[in-house]
Amino acid sequence: MDIFLQQVVNGLTIGSIYALVALGYTMVYGVMKLINFAHGDMVALSAYIGLVLYTQLAGLGFIPQPLTVVLVFLITALVIAIFGVLLERIAYRPLRTAPRLSAVVSALGASMMIQNGIMLVWGPNILIFPADILPAISWNVAGVTITFIQAAMIIITILLMISLTLFINYTKMGTAIRASAINQDAAKLMGINVNLVIMIIFVIGSILGAVGGLFIGMYYRGITFNLGWVYGLNAFIAAILGGIGNIPGSMIGGYLLGLFTALIAGYVSSAWAEAFTFILLILILIVRPTGILGERVAEKV
Amino acid sequence: MKLKKSTYGYLLFFAVLTLFPFINDPKWLTVITTFCIYSVVALSVDIVLGRAGMFDMGHALFFGLGAYITAIMNVQFGINVLYALPLVVVVPAIFAIALSSPIVHLRGDYLLVATVGMNIVFEQTLKNNLFGLTGGPNGIFGVDSYVFGFSLDEPLTIYYIAFFLLLGTLLLIRNLERSKAGRALHYIQEDPLASESIGISARFYRVFSFALGAGVAGLAGWVFSIQYSAVSPEAFNFMTSVLFFAIVLVGGKASIPGILAGTFIMFVLPEIFIEFATARYFFFGIAMILSMILRPEGMFPAKYGKLPKYVTEDK
Repeated sequence: MDIFLQQVVNGLTIGSIYALVALGYTMVYGVMKLINFAHGDMVALSAYIGLVLYTQLAGLGFIPQPLTVVLVFLITALVIAIFGVLLERIAYRPLRTAPRLSAVVSALGASMMIQNGIMLVWGPNILIFPADILPAISWNVAGVTITFIQAAMIIITILLMISLTLFINYTKMGTAIRASAINQDAAKLMGINVNLVIMIIFVIGSILGAVGGLFIGMYYRGITFNLGWVYGLNAFIAAILGGIGNIPGSMIGGYLLGLFTALIAGYVSSAWAEAFTFILLILILIVRPTGILGERVAEKV
Repeated sequence: MKLKKSTYGYLLFFAVLTLFPFINDPKWLTVITTFCIYSVVALSVDIVLGRAGMFDMGHALFFGLGAYITAIMNVQFGINVLYALPLVVVVPAIFAIALSSPIVHLRGDYLLVATVGMNIVFEQTLKNNLFGLTGGPNGIFGVDSYVFGFSLDEPLTIYYIAFFLLLGTLLLIRNLERSKAGRALHYIQEDPLASESIGISARFYRVFSFALGAGVAGLAGWVFSIQYSAVSPEAFNFMTSVLFFAIVLVGGKASIPGILAGTFIMFVLPEIFIEFATARYFFFGIAMILSMILRPEGMFPAKYGKLPKYVTEDK
């Protein structure tokens, strides 16, 4: 039972990362019907930028530690948001009317460019986040260890999701985003600036992804240039699990997938964990391609 | 009879490939052998992606299956590589039928993700050394290709094997284009609903295209494992599938010159600019974005048959 509860805590922690990254995929897919393959690499980029920022800011010496961490989060999120908007401008906007597959190839190209750009700048070797970024406190509740970072990750993720849900459901821009996701042309006719909506989506997705990337760095500590594909694909599975294009779905999907991976790693085999994840994905696609909360996807044929 | 411009192009291409070994440079002979093998794989991806219009981003699975069957039979069981020949076509084709049947009805992106998933499961299976056969992360070494007193992995021999495989594949595709199946695939891609309503089973032909593509890719895997006399999971991972996917779309769907040019750019150009080797994929990424913005239909978009003159002519 202790192992089970411990794996649940671990699963919720990983699930937080998946959910944050999955939201970036799902929002872009919802409005543009495009798998933004470069999103995972943006997440990797944010981990690298965060590491550089932290080393620089901590090197200054006069900023108190908690403020440094907050600053790292804010600046990284800002930088990645700018990258996200640039990515959309350069790689996706010119292809909005082109065949669907052209945009997919452009997304793959952007992904390769960012991933290998990271490798050229920071080298192919693993980089390590310092261990003393967050206090090494841990609590022991009923035989289960919860570290400070795990608690922080789960709480921050849930806060971000609540604010995103409020934003999407109760603001004018949120309504515009939902309208554009249903029908872009009709949204344009209603006077919605779809270009602006897409920009906002990339900003929000990138910010959430940046937080996810920093969490990956601080939790696992070792980062490599190709981590984007690993987390990107898992987050994408989470998005499909919940129903792609559906925002609450991605959150649920992220946590479910996190629990699933943690339990597989804990009880079955960690060497096969990835294979099990993808088998789960294929089974979902066969049995219920719409995901838990998603739309219809099979063709009428 | 007046020959078409493209016929001259193909004749020139074949002549260059036939005479290429006279350059007598072992390094380039290896590079061009690899080019032939990868062209065959790219053309087999095109059967599924370009002709049947299904987003297949896991094709390295079938390529790897062919290569691994050869290596496992030869190294683990000591069977002559020649006897692996029928199996490398049939087994990937059966796998393709079994794997694609439940998913061919999925809409584009979902199919893409499902095929990616299959490729990753395959890669992990190889890495985890299934039943002690696949050799784990390092793969299998020492494929012995000694047949009738010849060693097939001599550079010149393997070059001609790869070249003939490419010729055969081109012939197969030419025949496919002119056959009932090829026309059916083209029609299904244009409008699945309309093709179903006149009695062309979209499901059957989609699975058929997967099986055909897998068989051809498996054969390419056979040549690959003989050329390198080794197989490893990295050669058939999901990144390889992404490259082939990109080759087909950057070159042009269902366009043979486009796909050959795409393969050339992805696999031969890096050998020429060897000093940029580490930055290779960085530049490919940029090139992929640019080529899609400038030519969203690919470098050489395929042209489908012209309407007869009496239809277009004003009366």
